[in-house]
Amino acid sequence: MPDDLVARAQAGDQTAFRELYRQHAGRVYALCLRLTGEPRDAEERTQDVFVRLWDKLRSFRGESAFSSWLHRLAVNVVLNERRTTGRRERRVMPAEDPDNVVGAQHAAPLPSSTQGLSIDLERAIAELPDGAREVFVLYDIEGYGHGEIAQLVGIAEGTSKAQLFRARRLLREKLER
Amino acid sequence: MNEQELLDAVGRLPKSLEPPRDLWPGISTRINARLWRRWYWVPLAAAAALALVLIGRSIKPTAWDVTALAGRPLIGTKRLSASGRLRVGDWLQTDDSSRALVAVGRIGQVEVQPDTRVQLVVARANEHRLALARGTIAAKVDAVPRLFFVDTPAGTAIDLGCAYTLATDSLGKGLLHVTGGEVEFQTRQRSARVPLGALVQIRPPLGPGTPYVEDAPAPFVRALIAFDFEKGRARAMRTTLALARPQDALSLWHLLQRVAPPLRGVVYDRLAALVPPPPGVTRGGAIALHSRDLEGYWTKIHSIHFRRMVLRGVREINPRTGLAR
Repeated sequence: MPDDLVARAQAGDQTAFRELYRQHAGRVYALCLRLTGEPRDAEERTQDVFVRLWDKLRSFRGESAFSSWLHRLAVNVVLNERRTTGRRERRVMPAEDPDNVVGAQHAAPLPSSTQGLSIDLERAIAELPDGAREVFVLYDIEGYGHGEIAQLVGIAEGTSKAQLFRARRLLREKLER
Repeated sequence: MNEQELLDAVGRLPKSLEPPRDLWPGISTRINARLWRRWYWVPLAAAAALALVLIGRSIKPTAWDVTALAGRPLIGTKRLSASGRLRVGDWLQTDDSSRALVAVGRIGQVEVQPDTRVQLVVARANEHRLALARGTIAAKVDAVPRLFFVDTPAGTAIDLGCAYTLATDSLGKGLLHVTGGEVEFQTRQRSARVPLGALVQIRPPLGPGTPYVEDAPAPFVRALIAFDFEKGRARAMRTTLALARPQDALSLWHLLQRVAPPLRGVVYDRLAALVPPPPGVTRGGAIALHSRDLEGYWTKIHSIHFRRMVLRGVREINPRTGLAR
């Protein structure tokens, strides 16, 4: 029972907390990977998220689904980290190095007809400029609205829309090559 | 690829991606480190809390206890029947038939004489400060120097570990009489060191006059007062020097620093004739007011004076040398 797991973890049960990690690590890692665009950063942020979760778990009151609450926590951890480090330079990973292709190793098995496109799309997302990538991931993949994104990222709503437009255009161009 | 095809592709992206390695060991290590730090801080936090309590106790009281010794003194607008508390900012006032005893934190006490008005200005562990607007107080303090201060209209009495009586009128004209230890009375312009058995006149705006010993002859005292606060300073200085005895060396030591530079040599020579300077103190250094020479001289003068006061009535002390006769 997930609720039971959360309650036990809230009480300090590390076994229960490890089970929560096992259940949610993939979802959190995917979010971190797409937001950061880099596997190593994504691993660090995933660990940060679960350490933060351990600290904050007692404040979870069950007013929303635990997975939604954790998702929001993860978004905040990643965006706060980026604000703190101020890393805004564009990361470009060489396409010829298969180890650096985001999702190439980690994507869940997909139907063969779509697998290639998904890998290309993951790589193209990772190559987006930071601002555009964050808005695209939050809006098109995670389903946040522009108002929420503006608050989370600390930009104007109009900027969020412009970044989304820019991200989609860049992605289409990359995928058409 | 059009936008719809892009969104379709996005919709097919997996919601979950397994990390390339098990991240749990790192998470577990960090969580346990936090747990350890949390418990580690418990005793430290307890110790800090205890220290705060102890410091708080040592800093307190922020108000001082007051006991009525006679009549019914006023604290603010309230009559004190037996005892009460004087808080920072409170005025304590006695009339012609009332007296009060104020505990100076944990370091001493002040007896507030009739017709006196004092205010508690600061009540901290490292600063105990009263303001004496008028009247007379008798203070006894048992603490390291510079913890107890009394502000008057003419300057501030700084306790150096002592007992003294301080009187002032509302205009600031008054007298400091030290009966134990030493008090420094200072304004921005000047300061005076007043050891036990000595007095100093105080008047604004100058502040302290030249200290003198209790048994100083009246003409000598009058000459000092004239020098300090009246016209005809040059004549007053000559009279002072002429009347000075070895016992008055502490007065001349102060005078040396207060006369015009061309006259310092005269004062020094008279002082040296009454109480020879100790080794290491030079005429040139003293006249130039070098602190090493002045302090060296003061140490000798103060030592002789102290022996004379302490052994008063027990043994006669040579005021030139400090040795028993």
